Amino acid sequence: MMLNSSELMQIIPFLVLGTGIVISLLIEMYSSKSDAILPWLTIALLIYVAVHSINEVGSNDLLFGGMLAVGGKSSIFNFLFAVGGALVSLGAIDYIKKYGANFGEFYVLVQSSILGMMFMSGARDILVVFLGLELMSICFYVLVGINRKKINANEASMKYFLLGAFATGFIVYGVALVFGTAQTMRIGEILVNFSSLSGNILFMTGFILLIVGFAFKIAAFPFHMWVPDVYTGSSTAVTGLMSTGGKAAAFSVLLVLLGAVFTQEIENTFMPLFAGLAVLSMLYGSIVAIAQNNLKRMLAYSSISHAGYMLIGLAAGNLESVTGIMFYLVIYVFMNIGAFGIIAIIEGPNDDRVDLNSYAGLHQKNPVLALFMALFMLALAGLPPLAGFFGKYYVFIAAIESDLTWLAIVGVFSSVISVYFYLRVIVYMYFKESEVDFNVNISPTGLMTVVICGLLLIVYGLFPGSLLGLIASVVN
Amino acid sequence: MIEQYIPIFMVMVFAIIFGLGVIFASKIFGPNRPNKFKLMPYESGKDPVGDARERMSIKYYLVAMLFIIFDIEVIFVYPWGVEFKKLFADFGILAFTPMLVFLIVLELGFLYIYVKGGLKWD
Amino acid sequence: MDIWSIVIETSIKIFVVVNVLLLTVSYSVYFERKISAWAQNRIGPNRVGWLGLLQPFADVFKLLLKEDIVPDKSNKAIHALAPFLALFVAFSTYAVIPIGPEMTLFGYTFSLVVADVGIGILYVLAMTSLGVYAITFAGWSSGSKYSLLGGIRSAAQMISYEVSMGFSIAGVIMFSESLNMNVIVQSQAGWMWNAILQPIGFITFVVAAFAETNRMPFDLPEAEPELVGGYHTEYSSMKFAGFFLAEYANMAIASALIVTLYLGGWQNPLVDIFGITGITATLMQIGAFLVKVLALLFFFIWVRWSLPRFRYDQLMDLGWKVMFPLSLINIVWVAALIMIFNL
Repeated sequence: MMLNSSELMQIIPFLVLGTGIVISLLIEMYSSKSDAILPWLTIALLIYVAVHSINEVGSNDLLFGGMLAVGGKSSIFNFLFAVGGALVSLGAIDYIKKYGANFGEFYVLVQSSILGMMFMSGARDILVVFLGLELMSICFYVLVGINRKKINANEASMKYFLLGAFATGFIVYGVALVFGTAQTMRIGEILVNFSSLSGNILFMTGFILLIVGFAFKIAAFPFHMWVPDVYTGSSTAVTGLMSTGGKAAAFSVLLVLLGAVFTQEIENTFMPLFAGLAVLSMLYGSIVAIAQNNLKRMLAYSSISHAGYMLIGLAAGNLESVTGIMFYLVIYVFMNIGAFGIIAIIEGPNDDRVDLNSYAGLHQKNPVLALFMALFMLALAGLPPLAGFFGKYYVFIAAIESDLTWLAIVGVFSSVISVYFYLRVIVYMYFKESEVDFNVNISPTGLMTVVICGLLLIVYGLFPGSLLGLIASVVN
Repeated sequence: MIEQYIPIFMVMVFAIIFGLGVIFASKIFGPNRPNKFKLMPYESGKDPVGDARERMSIKYYLVAMLFIIFDIEVIFVYPWGVEFKKLFADFGILAFTPMLVFLIVLELGFLYIYVKGGLKWD
Repeated sequence: MDIWSIVIETSIKIFVVVNVLLLTVSYSVYFERKISAWAQNRIGPNRVGWLGLLQPFADVFKLLLKEDIVPDKSNKAIHALAPFLALFVAFSTYAVIPIGPEMTLFGYTFSLVVADVGIGILYVLAMTSLGVYAITFAGWSSGSKYSLLGGIRSAAQMISYEVSMGFSIAGVIMFSESLNMNVIVQSQAGWMWNAILQPIGFITFVVAAFAETNRMPFDLPEAEPELVGGYHTEYSSMKFAGFFLAEYANMAIASALIVTLYLGGWQNPLVDIFGITGITATLMQIGAFLVKVLALLFFFIWVRWSLPRFRYDQLMDLGWKVMFPLSLINIVWVAALIMIFNL
């Protein structure tokens, strides 16, 4: 029951972040300078968590009687969440002042949601998954509507809350059915008995309900309704966190839930389900994004199609696909946070200047921003020298290895469609005259986020081997 | 085990019968001569103004939410409280520290609400 | 033990306890009026029967023969449900309160509690939570502003004090290691009364009990000068009597709860001192329980006629900013007592 010292070392990231949340709340309560202290405290805490997690990557232990896994895959995910959270906090420092939500609570909620994601990725018990999911989701509901004076944000928050609660309902009902039939909450024990349980219609219903619930969170096609409005309505910094961290956390749970599929211990029963979700998400996201003029909305639809590419990996169901999905998620986090970072810099105080016309002639106004925006767009489109290409490449390879070549072809086809709307942004920036007259106020911290993301994309694009090797060693 | 609960069900059945009896007693024994003025909502003898189905202060909703939060925490304390003496015999002070941390975190959340003015009635 | 003997035994217990409860309720109304008269230098009821002792029955008969008015604007079903719910709660909570120890009569042993279940306290808490609905429903369904204000105020007040009530009870069950009411009473044997060991919890619980029963100084839901009658403004005849009955029954049950949880329940120090055994001891213990409950009932009435009413913001401040932290401190205090003195 009691933890020994080496086990205690391994849950230190959780303890540090948990204590950090409490201390941040105290600072917010009693310090008048909380808005100057909290962002940096948050970044420091998250960087510590990231460093600690990546140090623990070699270990692989189950704590609390098999409820929480540390090391291995969850370390990489924790690293990802923490780095993503730190980058978002860095970019948000000036942005939320402009947005009118300069509350210390913003950073507290960011920390809490990261803690929830860490619980999700480490969970080996369905109840812990649920705990983490709720911690993350509830923080997001509040973060989306953090400026309660903005009607758009309120609308987005309400929509997200209602649909999120709906998705939670699916998950809880699925948990109930799975627990009722499998008579255990431990994911490992459920997967061991999976083949005998899979004949049970109630068990399969429960499992599919779980998958549906998480499909909500990763914004896959039939469950994507909330995505465009919520991504557009919420503040850009929050959108950056939600579209990356939330998606990665939900995928981390799916990777654990389907763990035995990837090691070929059980048959890939869910292949048609995931293949269908993947095809629909990719095509829907790519095609509808073409019609969008609002950049945040466009990225929302692109987020749906990216969920589709990652779902190809789940449909493929082999170890390469796990590596591919994790690599894709890492790259996606940097691409998206970078792109939303630039949108946050350009955005005006009243939710304006997020449409394509505002980006016309950005090249003349600020060549650095235009260059990085072009970089992120090309990476999202998946053009070769950038890291985004390798993300898609490994997922498609995994699909081909599982004899799902048609799925890979649909994926490539969808990528080709998506190139149109990503390139359109570049065309606007470089080949159009500015129509809206405004000055770009570059915030140094915001620019720092963008530069870090951009450099990481180039580095991982030119040398994907180091990251890929690390992930592959963990997966195998 | 289940027969322990038979008395409780009997008490409930009795309470239901008793309650229904009281509710319907005056229907049976009392007169029934309604008129328009008798059936008006009472507003100190004046004709009623407006409707009673109006929006009320948001403070009440806030109190309800706080109640949900803190009353659920109570349920976490009970199982620990019942087992505390045994846990103390086995683990010593370590039986108490987790609950202390829990209570401190709870109290900090409460303090946050307090400092931010969530409990202010004005 | 077969089911039929349980049913018969329980029926007898319910019959006795309900009669005692009804009698207590009637006469606490009578004594409330007598004591208030005494406190205000008046005479009080003295016409019906000797010293007015039959007054409660006269009141009930009067209400029985009155017209049952259901206002036009009310929601009829909920309007009728509310007093029913209040009565249901008041007349099912007593089930788990032990009146005495196990008793042997004519060679037949039985416990002096209607339902000796392991979840005693949880049952009480569940029932008191239901009580909030009665008042909220009454206030909302009447379609009158006075009722609505009274109902909503009362709901907020009751749930605010329920939190500190719940945390106070945690201190009690830490000593008793059980949720069973009889075990809680036994754990207080020999002057180890919880009221003495954990005074903070005792005070918070008593205050919460006053608030839960809507008694002075927390009778904001009724607050005659501002709200006419509060949530039961639009009730008449036996439905009104139902609320009235429920209020006093709740008061009696709250007293019995305080006695059980904090004042040693049926423990009678005299029994130990003189070493009395057998049926005499049992009767003395039942007597001790009744005396304690009656003393607390007197305390309820005494407080009502001595203290002024709180303002609403003061009431909520007291509940959240004083009672809630105190009840948390109580848990730490009890844990410290157990750890230091190994009680």
